[in-house]
Amino acid sequence: MMFNVQTHMDFEGQAKAEKISRLIITLFGFVGLIFGAVIQQFSQTIYILAAGFVLALLITIPPYPLYRKKPLNWQKSRSQSSSESTEASSSKKTKQK
Amino acid sequence: MHTVLTRGNAILAYTLSVLACLTFCCFISTVFLDYRTNVKINAVKTLVKNVPNYGNNKELNDLGFITFDLQTDLSGLFNWNVKQLFLYLTAEYKTQNNELNQVVLWDKIILRGENAVLDFKNMNTKYYFWDDGNGLRAHKNVTLTLSWNIIPNAGLLPTLFGIGEHSFKFPEQYTMQPV
Repeated sequence: MMFNVQTHMDFEGQAKAEKISRLIITLFGFVGLIFGAVIQQFSQTIYILAAGFVLALLITIPPYPLYRKKPLNWQKSRSQSSSESTEASSSKKTKQK
Repeated sequence: MHTVLTRGNAILAYTLSVLACLTFCCFISTVFLDYRTNVKINAVKTLVKNVPNYGNNKELNDLGFITFDLQTDLSGLFNWNVKQLFLYLTAEYKTQNNELNQVVLWDKIILRGENAVLDFKNMNTKYYFWDDGNGLRAHKNVTLTLSWNIIPNAGLLPTLFGIGEHSFKFPEQYTMQPV
């Protein structure tokens, strides 16, 4: 693949991204509500919330290194082809049971 | 939150939830306000004619002609949950045929930001004041009221009556010459 870009986050990164995005949107919504109430323009509330939405997209959608600090430690794959085949056959047997 | 799309979806969904919540806050902040205010109405010219109503049954029906003064300050009614007001002037009267007749004679839309301090002198009506019979001539008690319908960003569409009304009489004689 020409565009094989890795976009995943690790588990802790996902939790962090969700937390940050919710914080940003809630904060902008709250500030927008106060500001809109003060100047009595509900459209300003919506624009401020939209700004928070865009900021949350920019900050939490791209998989920055911040969200990939704790990758899972996968076991190393077994390289021998013989062991792979025995594994496959044994798994087949367990399925038949 | 694993892929780009799931993250985008989660953020969009949460933003829309927050938007609904904010809209509800806007609604709840204005739902208990009192949107009534004082109105001064006065009927200046009152004439009544007896002419065929070609729009209805082609019989001779009473057609009232009035001009009115209207004075009110509606600027206090606007807030962040009022987009526009729809004003309408109603004539109410009782005839032998009907316990209650209501005829809308005039209306006006005031958008937020437009001049809401109204001071009209000798205004003509926009709509015909037809009676469905011959109940207008020498009628002793026709009442003019101003009502408004509030068009909000979110919430209820209340219809309110202005405080203050004006009652007038129609003349005893039909007017023969053209108005």
